[in-house]
Amino acid sequence: MAVAYDLEGQKRAYKRWAPYYDRVYHKLLADAHSKTALAAAKVGPDILEIGVGTGLVLPWYPDGTRVIGVDLSFHMLERARDKMLSGAAPQTRLVAAMDACRLGFADESFDAVTVPFVIPLVPDPEGALDEAMRVLKPGGEIVISSKLGYDKGAKAKVEEWVAPLMKKVGWSSAFRIERIKAWAEARGDVEVAEIAPLFPVGWFKLMRLVKRK
Amino acid sequence: MSDPQDESGRNADAEGVKADAPLGIDPKLLEILVCPLTKATLEYDAGKQELISKQARLAYPIRDGIPIMLPEEARQLPD
Repeated sequence: MAVAYDLEGQKRAYKRWAPYYDRVYHKLLADAHSKTALAAAKVGPDILEIGVGTGLVLPWYPDGTRVIGVDLSFHMLERARDKMLSGAAPQTRLVAAMDACRLGFADESFDAVTVPFVIPLVPDPEGALDEAMRVLKPGGEIVISSKLGYDKGAKAKVEEWVAPLMKKVGWSSAFRIERIKAWAEARGDVEVAEIAPLFPVGWFKLMRLVKRK
Repeated sequence: MSDPQDESGRNADAEGVKADAPLGIDPKLLEILVCPLTKATLEYDAGKQELISKQARLAYPIRDGIPIMLPEEARQLPD
């Protein structure tokens, strides 16, 4: 009974949100998307995006980059491919269906691996990060943008307010910075280079992990 | 199966080299892909639109220009 009530409440929330959804969603993520793409491009031209989805980040990669996007969902990838073919994402060369923990790329293929808003969705995040390290060239970087923080006070309020959106896109569980740090420490060949806030401040974060040479 | 010579001839007449390429993909790009299980290089079958992993005995399909590099969705090859 409680579940049914909850579902109805969510449906109502979505109905109310629907007319604004795209605009809010786009605005909310524009800063995160552009900064993720630019941070990767700073490292080098060959970029792999894990969890490319419908290709929301793809248009943000600057000239001179060569981007490949992978995702588990073929239906999402169809939309990413359409962006690629229509010229909306001119730096994207290929999109392919892959499991983040079993990538179909040779060792040391990429300068940067971007992971925008995916980490909380991966059942084995450490496995996915290990696989990202494998395909990364020495000196390359993993760029993660995600809800990497804590849920207290005002931030929790904001989250509550956008809760229907969050649930829809699957960010309900935070992936803790500590967990990534612990993973990096255990490996010993990767360094946490930067943890920077993204808009909205303190809610989304960008994390750069550098593979040692 | 049609005669491969005949097929390549028709393609060249109709749309040039592009007719053989999967939607939006330069076949050379496919060379960057390896088998997600064995990490060995793949053979590209342009006719069947498949990427063949000999060691894993799997054929990964390319659907509408999207390589599906998922072992569970690959076609099992006879031994």
